[in-house]
Amino acid sequence: MSPLLDVRDLTVRFPMPKPSLFAPRPHLEAVRQISFTLEPGRALGIVGESGSGKTTAAMATIRLTEASGGEVHFDGVDLLKLSPEKMRMRRRDIQLIFQDPYSSLNPRTRVNDIVREPMDLMEVGTPAERRERVVEYFRLVGLRPDQLDLFPHQFSGGQRQRISIARALTTDPKLLVCDEPVSALDVAIQAQILNLLARLKDELGLSYLFISHDLGVVRHVCDDVAVMYLGKIVEHAPRAALFDAPQHPYTQALISAAPSLARRKSKGYVRPLKVSGDPPSPINPPPGCAFAERCPRAQPLCREVQPELEPVGGSLAACHFPGPDEALRDAS
Amino acid sequence: MTALLEIEDLRVTFNTRHGQVTALDSVSLHVNEGETLGVVGESGCGKSITALSVMGLIPSPPGRIAGGEIRLDGENLVGASDKRLRRLRGAEAAMIFQEPMTSLNPVFTVGEQIAEAIMLHQKVSHDRAFRDAIELLDRVGIPSPESRARDYPHQLSGGMRQRVMIAMAVSCRPRVLIADEPTTALDVTVQAQIFDLLNEIQRDFGAAIVLITHDMGAISEMADRVAVMYAGRVIEEASADNVLDHPLHPYARGLIDCIPALGREETDLKEIPGVVPPLHLLGEGCAFADRCAHCEPRCLREKPRLVTHGNHPAAHPAACHGVEEGRI
Ligand SMILES: Nc1ncnc2c1ncn2[C@@H]1O[C@H](COP(=O)(O)OP(=O)(O)OP(=O)(O)O)[C@@H](O)[C@H]1O
Ligand SMILES: Nc1ncnc2c1ncn2[C@@H]1O[C@H](COP(=O)(O)OP(=O)(O)OP(=O)(O)O)[C@@H](O)[C@H]1O
Ligand SMILES: [Mg+2]
Ligand SMILES: [Mg+2]
Repeated sequence: MSPLLDVRDLTVRFPMPKPSLFAPRPHLEAVRQISFTLEPGRALGIVGESGSGKTTAAMATIRLTEASGGEVHFDGVDLLKLSPEKMRMRRRDIQLIFQDPYSSLNPRTRVNDIVREPMDLMEVGTPAERRERVVEYFRLVGLRPDQLDLFPHQFSGGQRQRISIARALTTDPKLLVCDEPVSALDVAIQAQILNLLARLKDELGLSYLFISHDLGVVRHVCDDVAVMYLGKIVEHAPRAALFDAPQHPYTQALISAAPSLARRKSKGYVRPLKVSGDPPSPINPPPGCAFAERCPRAQPLCREVQPELEPVGGSLAACHFPGPDEALRDAS
Repeated sequence: MTALLEIEDLRVTFNTRHGQVTALDSVSLHVNEGETLGVVGESGCGKSITALSVMGLIPSPPGRIAGGEIRLDGENLVGASDKRLRRLRGAEAAMIFQEPMTSLNPVFTVGEQIAEAIMLHQKVSHDRAFRDAIELLDRVGIPSPESRARDYPHQLSGGMRQRVMIAMAVSCRPRVLIADEPTTALDVTVQAQIFDLLNEIQRDFGAAIVLITHDMGAISEMADRVAVMYAGRVIEEASADNVLDHPLHPYARGLIDCIPALGREETDLKEIPGVVPPLHLLGEGCAFADRCAHCEPRCLREKPRLVTHGNHPAAHPAACHGVEEGRI
């Protein structure tokens, strides 16, 4: 099967203010030559800490942020080469839901119009068909059609996220980009939305590019997972491989740091793997592996040569010294 | 053994445009020396208001402690003078907030701010206090504390700012440390560092910690005991193991089953249908009734009390008629 999405060497650079008039303009490399593929009907999770470039990578993939280089083949066509008009036609195949269901919905518009808007913009079907569709999708996401005349503030956070999902689905997209779709929601409401997204993926055969900093959420929704660190993918693997046998020390550190119900204070639990410090600044990224400063395995080589993604275990990992972590394995 | 901090039947009300609402309704909690109490629950259930009550920081008006007692070492703090409460804050009880930037002063160096906090409660020279501040920064794991002490808050990362807050909070060796979602704004690897630090500090200083969180995973790793709150009431309270392994209240069960936690077999996430009712719409009965699969007429009429039902070894207090009647 050919992939729905085939991203190659995608790079995004933001110009920064010049430190002085004659100094060269510094750039912030938010996404540094990442490559990945996404098969139809699958969900690819992108995890990583704040500032690692998850949002920028996804936005550049769907051309909402300008890429500085690379290719994005969507259904075989390089999106980055399309004319604006052709890109506009493609938009109906690609929809987006955001983290914040409060600010992403226009407060002065009735939800009926909010959900119908993408179809109006992309001229999908006749007006009567559009109206029918709104009702159909409202039901599909678990809302009642009698609520269609209400305004966004009359809904709870979870319901507002359902509205964004309904709106995104009305154009029959093939790809849904979800940027932290549940992190603004309470845990009890998160479960409602995660179950809904899982069901829609199966029923409609959707593909997801699913961004989250929560490993538990990603494990629940995604088939494959890419771990980002300072603008690079450091590990990419099917879900089971990534969670059961992570190869990159940063993935291991993330898993070890995520709070887990299996670790109990009463059982004298000690964190198996510790990393110190904060991620480095993306403005002048170090020449070698960006994780080297915090990595328990780092050798001089790591600070000099940037490792590339290569197959190891069941993963692709960008590490000079990949492999399972003993302490983490013993602890689980 | 009497508890170090005891909250009994605490009631806090707010005047709002919907009239007077009860934000905390007969909340009772306690923490012992050297113990960590986890307080968990959905947004708006009263976790922060409970913490602010202890610190004497309820915004008044519109808020008011309308009843109950808060005892620190037997001394009732409800109705205590402002002077007493000021002396209490920092010296005997300290609080760490979610966003350290809001509680740090942007125009003073962090070393200066910690020194200031020390001098507020101890009769020491400024030089001495500043040296102590550097030592504290070192203690909370800030690299090159000598030079970091001269940095302003905005020059530090979020994780470092939270460490500064912790340094400041423990500067006078408080007996109770309240941490209100201290890591929600931080990355997980940094959150892990802060959790480990809180545990170390507890070992070294013997402080009682109240950790407020909405994350059951954090509860599992950090807490000895847990109080689960819902709509301004404590609805279940027990050792962390009992709550996590044998939750009784349908809401507590729901909270545990609905998280896509690592370290647990993959299953369908159980949903808790509906949403938390707003405070001004709370009725006579159990606040969870309209979301509960086990709701019966009595639940709509009568508020369940937080008591232990039955004599199962893992039996513990839960505010639920269904548990009392043995049907859940
Ligand atoms: N428009 C922009 N101009 C300049 N820098 C930017 C811009 N957008 C993002 N960045 C920077 O690019 C880097 C990656 O940001 P991005 O928002 O993609 O991270 P993220 O992984 O989505 O983080 P978070 O988890 O906080 O959402 C960060 O250092 C950020 O400050
Ligand atoms: N100044 C105020 N005026 C009116 N109501 C208030 C005020 N402060 C808090 N409340 C109400 O008190 C209740 C408890 O709030 P609290 O901040 O303790 O919740 P929380 O459990 O800490 O939630 P979160 O997880 O969102 O921090 C909420 O319903 C809130 O609306
Ligand atoms: Mg982002
Ligand atoms: Mg709070």
